[in-house]
Amino acid sequence: MNNKRFAMVLDTRKCIDCKACTVACKAENHVPLGRENHRNWVTEEHLRGKFPLLGQSYTPGQCMHCGNTPCKRVCPTSATGQNQDGIVTVEEHKCIGCKYCMTACPYDARYYNEEIGAVDKCTFCAHRIYIGRLPACVETCPTKVRVFGDLNDPNSEVSRLLAKYPHRVIKEEMGTKPYLFYLI
Amino acid sequence: MASFTKRPGELLWFSLLGLGMLVGAAAALMVLIKGHSHMYNVSREIPWGILISTYVFFVVSSTGLCLVSSLGHVFGIEQFELIGRRAILLAIITLLTGFGTIAMEINHPIRMAIYVILSPNFESPIWWMGTLYGIYLMLLIGEFYFLMRNHHKGAMTMGLLGFVAAVTAHSNLGGVFGLLEARPYWHGSFLPLYFILSALVSGGALISIIVYYNYQFRKIALPARYPQFIDTLAKLQALFLMILTFFVTWKIIPGLYGRPPEKFEATMALLTGPMAFNFWFFEVLIGMLIPIGLLLNKKFRTPFGVMLAGVFCTVGIFFMRYDLVLGGQIVPMREGEVNLVGGLLSYSPSLAEYAIVGGALATCMFLYTLAEKVFDLEMKSH
Repeated sequence: MNNKRFAMVLDTRKCIDCKACTVACKAENHVPLGRENHRNWVTEEHLRGKFPLLGQSYTPGQCMHCGNTPCKRVCPTSATGQNQDGIVTVEEHKCIGCKYCMTACPYDARYYNEEIGAVDKCTFCAHRIYIGRLPACVETCPTKVRVFGDLNDPNSEVSRLLAKYPHRVIKEEMGTKPYLFYLI
Repeated sequence: MASFTKRPGELLWFSLLGLGMLVGAAAALMVLIKGHSHMYNVSREIPWGILISTYVFFVVSSTGLCLVSSLGHVFGIEQFELIGRRAILLAIITLLTGFGTIAMEINHPIRMAIYVILSPNFESPIWWMGTLYGIYLMLLIGEFYFLMRNHHKGAMTMGLLGFVAAVTAHSNLGGVFGLLEARPYWHGSFLPLYFILSALVSGGALISIIVYYNYQFRKIALPARYPQFIDTLAKLQALFLMILTFFVTWKIIPGLYGRPPEKFEATMALLTGPMAFNFWFFEVLIGMLIPIGLLLNKKFRTPFGVMLAGVFCTVGIFFMRYDLVLGGQIVPMREGEVNLVGGLLSYSPSLAEYAIVGGALATCMFLYTLAEKVFDLEMKSH
C-alpha cells in the first residue's frame, strides 16, 4: 500500500457507548476472552455538571498508528514494525514477551495475547482493508462514529472531515503524532 | 560430605537454601506448564512486576560489587584489593541469577536469544541492555580469571574495561526506564545516574556481609588486615548513603512541586499512598537512616556493625527497586479505567512470583557459598 497513509477520524458526539466496536473487533480478530484482552475500547469520560443537568462523553480508542512510534522504537527484536501506509504491525514469531512496548505506549493500546504467544494490538484490520473492506469496528458502529481512510488522498472522507472540522489527538504532548483524530 | 558433618550449621544452611531453590524451581515449572497469565499477577496495565524489580536488584548488586572492588585493583586503593576475588565472583553470580529471574518474566527467552541477533533493533534500550550485560559478564569472568591467577596487569586491564562496561550497562538499565516518555515517573536522565549511585551502596553493603559471614561461618578469626578495611569501607558506605538520601530527596521534590501530571500521583502513592509503608519503613528507615546511624558511629564500625548496616541497606534497596518499578506503572494511562483503588492501579505479587524471587535469592546465596568451598578466594598480599 504505497502512497497511502491510513487514518481514522472519530466523532465522539455520536458515540453511545454500546461497545459494539469492541465486540466486533474481538470476534473479527480472535481476541481471547477476558477484561484485559482488547484491541479497542470505549473510555467513559468524567460526568459533567450537577444533577439534573448532567452530561457525559465517550471516547473510543485503539492503537493510534502513530507517526512517531514509541512501541517500535523500544522493541528489542524489531517485532514491532510499521508499514509504509502507517499501520503499526507485530510479527508474532519475533515477539519475546518482554512487554517493553506495553510500558512504552502512552495509550495502553497493547496487550499480551496468550493464545498467539505475542503482544497484540489493532491493525486497522489490515486483512480486510487490503482487500477493499472497512475495519470491523468501522463497519459495525451503529452511529457512524468512526471514519476510516487514506489521508494522502485529498478527496477521501477522512481528509475532507479534517479539512472541514477542528480536531484533536490524544496525548499530543507525548510527541507520538497519532493518526486517530477526534473531531471537536 | 565429611566437611558437612563436622559443621552442622553449614548443613542447615545448605538445606535451607536447597529448600528455597526447590520451591523456586517448582514455581518455575508450574509457570512453564500453566503459562504466565495463570501464575503471575502482572496485568495489561502493570506488565512489569516483582520479577523485573528483583532482576534490577540483582544486576544493581553486580554492578555495585564490580565498582567497589575496582577501587582496589583498578584505582589502586590497596585496602580494597583484599576483597577483589570475592566481590567479582559474587558480581558474576548476582548477574547470572538476575538473568535467570528476568528469563522467568519474559514469555519467550529462547526467541529472545535468536532474534536479538537475527533481528536486532539498535534503538531499543532493552537490546542494549542484553548486549552490554553480556559483554560485562565476559569481562567479569576474565577479571576473575586474572585475579585467581594473581595476574595483576591482566586483572587491572579487565577491571578497567569491566568498570567501563558496568557503568555503561547499568546506566543503560536506568535508560530502559528513563527513556519512556509515556511514564513521567521514570522519564528523564535521573534514573541512569541514580542507578549508578545506588549500585555503589549495594556493592558496599554486600561486601561487608560476605566478609563477615565468610569468617564467622568457618569460625576463623578475622585476619588483622580486615578490621581496618572494614573501617574504611564503612566510612565510604556512609558517604554513599548520604549522597543517596540527597538523590532520593531530589527524586521527590520535582514530583511534588507544581503537581506535574502522573508524576505527582506516583510520588504521592509513594509518600502517602499504597507504597508509603514500603517507602518510609523499608526504603528510608531500614535502607538509609539506620545504616547511616550505625556507620557514622565509631563504636559500630566493627565488622559486625558494618555487616548489620549492610543487611539493612540490602533489604532497603530491594524495596527501592520494587517501588521504583511499580511507581512508574501505578498511575493509569487511560481515563475511565475500572478496578482502581484511590485512582491508582494495584498489583501484589502472586505466590509463584514470590516463590521465584525466593528461589533466585536462595540460588544466589547457594552458588556463592559453594564457590567459597571450591575456590581459594583469599587474596594474597603482595
